Amino acid sequence: MNVIVCVKHVPETAEAEIAIHESRKRIKTEDLVFDINEWDDYAVEEAVLLKEKLGGSVTAITVGSEDADSTLRKCLARGADKAVRLTDKAFEGSDSYAIAKILYKIIKDLPFDLILTGAQAGDDGCAQVGVVLAELLGIPHVTMVKKVESVEGHVKVNRELEGGLEEIVEAKLPVLLAVQTGINEPRYISIMGIRKAMKKEMKVLGLKDVGLTEEEVGESGSWITVEKMFIPPVEKEAEILTGGVDEIATKIVETLRAKGLI
Amino acid sequence: MEELGAIKKLNFNVCMQCGKCTGSCPVFPKSKLNPRRLMLETAYLISPLTMHPPLNIYEKSEIWDCTTCSTCSYRCPREVEPMDVIIGLRGLLLEQGRVPSTLGDALEGVYKYGNPWGISRSKRSDWAQDLKVKYVSEGEKAELLYFVGCAAAYDSRAQEVARALVKNLNTLGIDFSILGNKETCCGNEVYSLGEKGLFEILVEKNLSLLDQYGINRILTTSPHCFNAFKNKYGKDLAVQHYTQYFADLIDKGKLKFPQRVEKVVTYQDPCFLGKHNDIYDEPRKIIESIPGIKLVELNLSRGRSVCCEGGGGRMWYDIPGERGRLAETRVKEAIDVGADILAVACPFCLLTFDDAVKTTGNEDKIQVMDIMELVAEALLSSNEQVI
Repeated sequence: MNVIVCVKHVPETAEAEIAIHESRKRIKTEDLVFDINEWDDYAVEEAVLLKEKLGGSVTAITVGSEDADSTLRKCLARGADKAVRLTDKAFEGSDSYAIAKILYKIIKDLPFDLILTGAQAGDDGCAQVGVVLAELLGIPHVTMVKKVESVEGHVKVNRELEGGLEEIVEAKLPVLLAVQTGINEPRYISIMGIRKAMKKEMKVLGLKDVGLTEEEVGESGSWITVEKMFIPPVEKEAEILTGGVDEIATKIVETLRAKGLI
Repeated sequence: MEELGAIKKLNFNVCMQCGKCTGSCPVFPKSKLNPRRLMLETAYLISPLTMHPPLNIYEKSEIWDCTTCSTCSYRCPREVEPMDVIIGLRGLLLEQGRVPSTLGDALEGVYKYGNPWGISRSKRSDWAQDLKVKYVSEGEKAELLYFVGCAAAYDSRAQEVARALVKNLNTLGIDFSILGNKETCCGNEVYSLGEKGLFEILVEKNLSLLDQYGINRILTTSPHCFNAFKNKYGKDLAVQHYTQYFADLIDKGKLKFPQRVEKVVTYQDPCFLGKHNDIYDEPRKIIESIPGIKLVELNLSRGRSVCCEGGGGRMWYDIPGERGRLAETRVKEAIDVGADILAVACPFCLLTFDDAVKTTGNEDKIQVMDIMELVAEALLSSNEQVI
């Protein structure tokens, strides 16, 4: 099984204090720590698990700056065989559609049975690249994937639905699966492992190599532009009720009644 | 397996299987961890001989149960150093990515944020904001560097120890500075978990920080940081644990206590101060110098002390299905010897014992205090302590 995994190098924002950049179009990233997108980490682990079980190869691909090398090296240390970084000044400002176009141009000529992406990225949370990429390639896709089983010529896939439900679907290969977190337990990547992975192949390609024009990528090649980015204002403050149980219950009822909710 | 190289250098082939290591291992009674058996199995692992059934080291998940308290190495009559063999085996598992996820997260936290809790670097010196502290990172030079350590920098309970230490130094008029948000993990637990590559990175970072700011003397809150700097950095660094530093001040007549503390106090020897570094007298000297305090010893103390289970990565890992932590037994022992206060000199002991006092429901019987907090109580008026 030849697997391609699309990954993204993203800032970690869960613990960080987020500030908006002067341009009002993005967040300030200077003091943030970057790493592989959490969903993509699960996707790479799943690809490596499939390779370990079924043979074949794993190729990790990213669109990003030179900084993304650390994410690709992590993929190689995790067990990917090759990595490709797509870097060009013209790619900057690309939306999900433009990113999918760049990926499509490279992936269409590569041999693959399966493409894995994370279900979404931790920074913009768009969850679109995988789906658009599958459309451009003309292959089926399955999102929110929690389990993958390979059966002769196709895959049996568990999708996560709301309310704790899962549905099982079958898809013919080649297929794109957008992986949800929790599908596996990504193994620890040691520093020694990353150092050893330095020996593996890492290709860097640009606009000309992918065969796109400047108009087709970046902001001009995108369908979505960011108008303004802002931190949602705190409009209402929480009120902590004090007193005995009866007292608190009475206050809650009064508040709900006053607001016309009951 | 090239990772076996480090283990091969160890002296375990002189092991005579006497079993002192297993007999003295504090987690053996509740874990599959059996140092004696591991020594034998490791001997086979690196020799051309095979075992039946063949040993699969990767299935030995109990290797993560070790607290690296060093009792096995301390008592081994042949200087086999079973603890170092365990750390070497951890390295083997780790290179295969076979690490319990909470330990993997702690290591990633150190790599990305410089602390095992994975909290933002920008919050590292928040604890010191309202205190009088020099920041060497902002050009405020001082002769002595206070290396706070991750636990005292980030954990709200352990921060109280750092705050007490700073107040004590200020009261005594001692010139010192801290690294502020530039400080990064010392790597002691990283080393204990067998993550050699990451440990090397931390050594390089810390040595270059010390060099950059021209630091000659280091004082640590944690015996773990002290141990790393003293024994694992491959350099002759002038580092002291605060118990050594304050015991020196007492010897020189520079530390006298104006306040009395009328309490019965017992003391837990931290493994990384005691068994790892033979520092037993200095903490006791400080406690006994405080007027009013009566020091009573636990039944097992000094070299026979029992680990709190906070070392070797165990702050971030519970033995699967374990019932009762060693700290709980120690708290009960402390109550049995009639102590009002269980004194500690290590942030990990502080946190594990604080938890154990709560889980055993003994909040009204015993209090866990760091020696620096006792010193603050005896040194400062109640007014100054609040500030």
